[in-house]
Parts: sequence; structure tokens; C-alpha cells
Amino acid sequence: MRTDSANGPALKKMFALGTAWLEKAAPDINAINVFPIPDGDTGTNMLLTMQSAMGEANQNPNRSACSVAKSMAAGALMGARGNSGVILSQFWRGLAKGLEGKRSFNGTDFAKALAEASQAAYEGLVNPVEGTILTVLKDAATAADMSARTDSASLLSIMETATEAARDSVARTPDLLPVLRESGVVDAGGQGLYVLLDGALYYLKGKAREIKYRKPRLVASNLPLAPKAAQMATEVEVPYGYCTNFVLEGKKLDPKKVKNKLKKKGQSLIVTGNDSLIRVHIHSFKPGEILDYATHLGTLHQIDVRNMDDQYVEFIKMQRERMPKVDIAIVAVASGDGFFEVFNSLGSTIIVPGGQTMNPSVRQLLQAIESAPSDNIILLPNNKNIIPTASQLESLTVKKVKVVPTRTIPQGIAALLVFNYDLSLEDNVRSMEETITTVKTVEVTKAVRKTQLNGLKIKKGQFIAILNDEELIAKGNNMTDLIFEALTKADIERAEMVTIYYGAETQATEAEEIAQEIRNRYQTEVEVVRGQQPHYNYIISLE
Amino acid sequence: MIFEAPEKSIFLGQGVMVKVVTDSCSGITPELARKFGISVVPLYVQFGNEVYRDNVDLSTKQFYQKLEKSKITPTTSTPGPEVFAELFTTLAEETNEIVAIMFSQMLSGAYGAALQGKAMVTRDCRIEVIDSTLAISAQMLLVISAARMARSGANLDQIVDWVRKAIPRLHIQMTFDTLEYLRKGGRIGMAQAFLGSLLKVNPVLTLKEGLVFPVARLRNRPKAIDYLVKFVRSFSRIEAIAIEDVTTPEDLEILAERLKDLVPPGDFYRSKVDPVVGVHVGPRVLAACVLEAE
Repeated sequence: MRTDSANGPALKKMFALGTAWLEKAAPDINAINVFPIPDGDTGTNMLLTMQSAMGEANQNPNRSACSVAKSMAAGALMGARGNSGVILSQFWRGLAKGLEGKRSFNGTDFAKALAEASQAAYEGLVNPVEGTILTVLKDAATAADMSARTDSASLLSIMETATEAARDSVARTPDLLPVLRESGVVDAGGQGLYVLLDGALYYLKGKAREIKYRKPRLVASNLPLAPKAAQMATEVEVPYGYCTNFVLEGKKLDPKKVKNKLKKKGQSLIVTGNDSLIRVHIHSFKPGEILDYATHLGTLHQIDVRNMDDQYVEFIKMQRERMPKVDIAIVAVASGDGFFEVFNSLGSTIIVPGGQTMNPSVRQLLQAIESAPSDNIILLPNNKNIIPTASQLESLTVKKVKVVPTRTIPQGIAALLVFNYDLSLEDNVRSMEETITTVKTVEVTKAVRKTQLNGLKIKKGQFIAILNDEELIAKGNNMTDLIFEALTKADIERAEMVTIYYGAETQATEAEEIAQEIRNRYQTEVEVVRGQQPHYNYIISLE
Repeated sequence: MIFEAPEKSIFLGQGVMVKVVTDSCSGITPELARKFGISVVPLYVQFGNEVYRDNVDLSTKQFYQKLEKSKITPTTSTPGPEVFAELFTTLAEETNEIVAIMFSQMLSGAYGAALQGKAMVTRDCRIEVIDSTLAISAQMLLVISAARMARSGANLDQIVDWVRKAIPRLHIQMTFDTLEYLRKGGRIGMAQAFLGSLLKVNPVLTLKEGLVFPVARLRNRPKAIDYLVKFVRSFSRIEAIAIEDVTTPEDLEILAERLKDLVPPGDFYRSKVDPVVGVHVGPRVLAACVLEAE
């Protein structure tokens, strides 16, 4: 197979395979569709659009790539469904423009056509949003362009670059679009575009047969939030109105004018087409007004008005079926940016700022519990002074709240780590309670005043070490000596794992040195983590 | 021929013995397959243009040696339906009942290929293709039990019925040093909740409805091994146990020492994760599987 360039028939075959590949991915793409409206039909819409494009292309016997691309653009425009479908039809319009006059095209031509396609896609939208199919297309086009300038003009190599760039771009979409991040998914439309390109790439690689027994490998979000998604989604009960699609045929139509007119009538407006045929997609509460306006300009075809709230209900159902039932949210109290990140990275749903000397109020905790996306809550107070406050919450809300009495932050982290998605609230609480007894905590701080504790006279400014937030076990002026004295008293000989969380005013290098010294002296694993906590120079956990 | 040659069939009573087929992702070793007369269809591991049959051309050990030296990231693929059709047709010369117990179809295309292969068989032979919804040693225990039943004269319906009922009684947990391989291979499923941890953790995962599912996170490997031991010991009635490793036979021995008293030696299996699954789980995975008694 020639992979340097492609003519009309090859273009057809590339995207016929892309479409077949997309068909396999469509259900999964539907399931991650949350933007702009979580109606769960992005995959289907893109597929129907592509099928219409291919239908038109297959009726065109012309062997020129330019002619086939034009047919595909026309077919895509006629068959476009939904937001993503319309954007896809813009993609084809741009691509056809980019291939204008080409009987066949090589990688350089394709890179240029992708740039056109990207531009067309942006232009079709009133408010282009990044982190969507638009960004993915733009990134693919940019990468293709760079590669065409530097590496090679072979179509295969450019396609490979573009597909890889699209895949990476899909993975980054949650970084750009908060709604994706909250739902723990990547953009569905972007995912669809990637699958389409990937399918075309299979053809160019001569691996067309392989896709028969395979499924596209979808890009996963690089953010660890997925299981929360279904829960988040159920909380939002915003009405979405009607998804309205139609084709307007007439004479001397002006797409720009139509676009301006409809701009204020709803959201997600897309207007594409030319002076004889315009396709409109809009989300509106009053589809009647829009159709009424359009009938004055010409004749309406393919009118499709769907209630998105129905679609949304369907989508939620589909999400529920696909997501594991994580119906327990974990609310944790912590202080220090480092600890916020640690708790977040381990799956804590809501983190309430607070800790030593700044205990959160009942109201703050209650707010956190009420806003948590679940009726079952595990609350980790992570400080012995907060436990009494936390315990009151069980009776203040209709939600089922269980407090695991974590006295220190390391206990809270240990509890969070044993959280099991497969267990009930009660069983999780039981295993957390078991675990926290196996963790010892040493906290190191500076004495703020002269005092006497546990028979030890402490001068102002001296370092002190406290075991399990209750017992003063060491004091001294030298940090390293103090820490080793404290660790010995905390029975470090029996610990398998030591974690050192260093505070906001402590140097990472000092923490690393202490860690190395512990490794030298004891048979234990040591990990150093940035806690950035106020007040304590070190919080050390022994497990 | 692409599959392991099965032992000669054994005729029992008036019936002909049911033939048991599985794929190489069950991790069943060639020795065990021969011992129980199981036909194993290998999946493929590819390093660029080099294609290897799983556990046939490439052992797990060879695979990891190769992986260390290779600059190419290996990929995996399933055999086409014709491979299954050919195997079924060959087996149909000796039997008129075949059961194929396959790797979870949520994780591999082997089940689909086997189903399609079944449709291509023209000989008069009943073939049942079952999606185990399981993988590795859990799938292996299912396959071995089915083969044992076949040997003792059970017919296809009895075996299929037993297998379907046994699937919910199979419990597996696996500990990982890293989830990177699962993530890269796109098979991380719900365990992606465990990605991104700022603490070093050894995650323990299981299989649920054919997909990878998160269970727990431990702070280091010894604790993760303790967790697996506790998991197995939490079952009061155990029919069989299988444990397996990838590149850490010493850890497998530790696990074996702590678990082998639970069942008679004949019901305690050691196996090794095959290269195809190895591509997706990475080295140092350790798994323990229990077949709970009825």
C-alpha cells in the first residue's frame, strides 16, 4: 500500500475505517459526554454524521481526493447531528477546502487541510470553548504542521503525528475544562475525533483487518476523579431545554446573519452552511420561536427537537450503570496545602481547612457534609480536639454520617488508604478504626512559651516532640537529636514504614537528611512528603 | 498448528469426554494444560514487527528480559476467529462437546473471536463459549475444575452449569507496585481512582463484572502481601487456591508458605502471569485467588 499519499478512493477507505472504528467506540463516548450538556449522545451523533459523510462519498465515483472530500463535507453537513456532529461537519468543510484542487494529497497537504479544518471548526462557533474537540483538532493540526515542516511529507508519518497529538490533547482536556475535571472524564467529542483519526491511521498502516476484533482504546483522564463523577452529576438538576436541529434551504441565505439573530436565543449555537443551505444547532427553551424565525427565510428540513432533560435523565442512568457504586463520600479536616493535595490525591471528596489551634466550627463541617455528593459520609477529624465537634454532626443532618475518630493527620491518611469501594459504610468505618490503632504519630514543634510538661522543663523556643497528640516525649535544641530521641521512644524499631511530612517553614533538604539518617539506622522504608502544615515542623507517621 | 496439542482423549462409559479450551491469559502453564488435557489458544505479544505467541514462543521470564532491553513498547493482540474455528474443528474429530472458557471480554477480544470461530465450525459438535468475566489465576481455576469434571465424565451441560455457578465463587486480589502499565494499556477501569496518589502506595485491585476494580492501598509491599494473606484467610470454606507472580518468585514463596495449609496440596496451584497480561500489568504483580466452596 502506498502510504506517502492518498487519492480519492484511499481517502474514502481511510475514513470508512475511521467510521467503523468510531462505531465501536460510540457507546463509551456517549457515556463520558458531559459538555456542553450531559445528554450522552456525542458518540452516536458523530457516528451518524460520519455515516452520512461516507454515504455521500461512496456515491461519488470520482478518483480525485478533492472531489471525494467535497462529497464528504456535503454529506456531513446534511447528516450532522448534535453539537459535535455539526463541529465535525465543519471539520470536513475545512478539510475539503484545504484539499481544493488536489487529485491526491501527501502529508504536507494533509497538514495544511487539518489547519483549514481547525480554523473552520472555530469559526462555526459563537463561543468556542477550549478543552473540547476544538482544542484536540487544533493540537492535531499544529503537530501535523510542525512535523510537515521538519520531518517528512509522507502521509502515514503526518497522520501518525496528528493522531498521537490528538490522543495527548484528549488526555489534557480535563485540565482545560472544569466540568470535565469535576466529572473525571475527558471530552467526548475530542475522544471521537481521536478515534476517527486513529481508525484512518490503521488503514494507512495496512492494518485494516485488525480492527475487526479489536475495540478502540479510549483515552483516560489523567486525573484520578472518575468514581466521583456519577455522584457529582446527580446533584446538578438544571433544566437544559430543547436541543433543536434543522436544515434551512433557500436562496441568498446569509449564515452570518442567521448566527447573529439566533445568538441571544439560546446556548451552544452552531450555524454552518452556505447561501443555499444552512444547518442550525441550538439549545433553547423556546424552540418554537427559532423555527418560526427560520420559516421566514426558506424551507425547513430534518427538524429535530429533543427534550434534553429527558436525555439527561437517560444519561444519568447510563452513567450510573457504568460507574461503580461509590456512594460514600469522605470529608476530611486538614491544614497545609501539601496535606490538602495528599488528601485530595487519595480520594477525599471534601477537605475542610482546620487543625491544631484552628478547629472548624460545627457549621463549617455541616456545610461540607451537606455539599458532599453522597448521602453516606465518613468524616475524618484528624485532630483530637475536633472529634467532639465532629461527633455532633451525626444528629444534625439527614445524611448518614460516621465519624472515624482520627486523632492525628497520619491516622486520617491511614484511614483513607484502607477505604474500600466495595464495602458498606459500616464495614469501611470498622476497617478504618482498626487501622488507625496501628499508626503512631510524632509531631515536632517549637515551644511558644516557657512551660513544664510531663516533668520536663521547657524553655521558650526549644523544640518539643509529642506522641499521638497527647504525650510530650522529648525536648531539645538540636532538631536531629530531638527527632531520634522521639522516634526511639515511639518504638521505631517495630515500624515498617515511616513517613515524614515537613511543614510550611521547614526545608525539604533537612527532611531528606533526617530520612536518610533513619534509613541508615533502622530497617525501615522512609518517605518524605510535603505537608506544608503550619505550626508543626514535622509530622511523622510510624506504621 | 497454533495451539497446545491436547493429550489423547479418555473415553469414559458410553460418552465421549468434553474438551476444554481456554486462552493463554488464564496463565495456565503448559505443564498444567497437558496434565488436565486443556487446549490453550495463545494470544500474541508484539514488539514492533516481531510477533510472539503467548507462553508458546515467549515465556514470562523471556518476555521481561526482552522488555528490559527493548526500546519498543510491546503491544498485544488476539487471534482471529479462524484460529478458534480450526481448533474447534480439530477437537471435533474426537468429541462432540466442547467448552471454551475465556478471558473477560471487557478486557480482551478473545471471547468475541472464539464466538465467531464457533459460528464457522461446520462439523456436528456442540460448542459452548463462556465469558469467564475473570482473568489469570481465577480463570485458570475455573478451567482446571471444568477439565477435572470432564475427566470424571460430566457432560457439557453439567460443566457449563457448574462453571456459570462457580464464577461468583471465585475471588481474586492482585497487588501492584505501579498502575502505570494498566493505565497505559487502557485497562485500568475504576482503579483509576487510585492513580495520582502523592504517597507511595501498593494498590490492591480485584476484578468485578469483568473489569479491574480498586480494593485497597497499602503503604509498602510487605503490607500488601499481608493484605492478600488476610484476604484469602477471610474465607471460611475454600475449595481451591491459586497464587501467581510475574517476576518475583521469592514473594510467591512467601505467599505460598502463609497460605498452603488452607487446602490439600492438590488444590493449591502456583502459576505465572503470562506475557500478554504482563504487558498490561507490569512486573511485580502478585495475585491470590480463592475458589470458595459451595
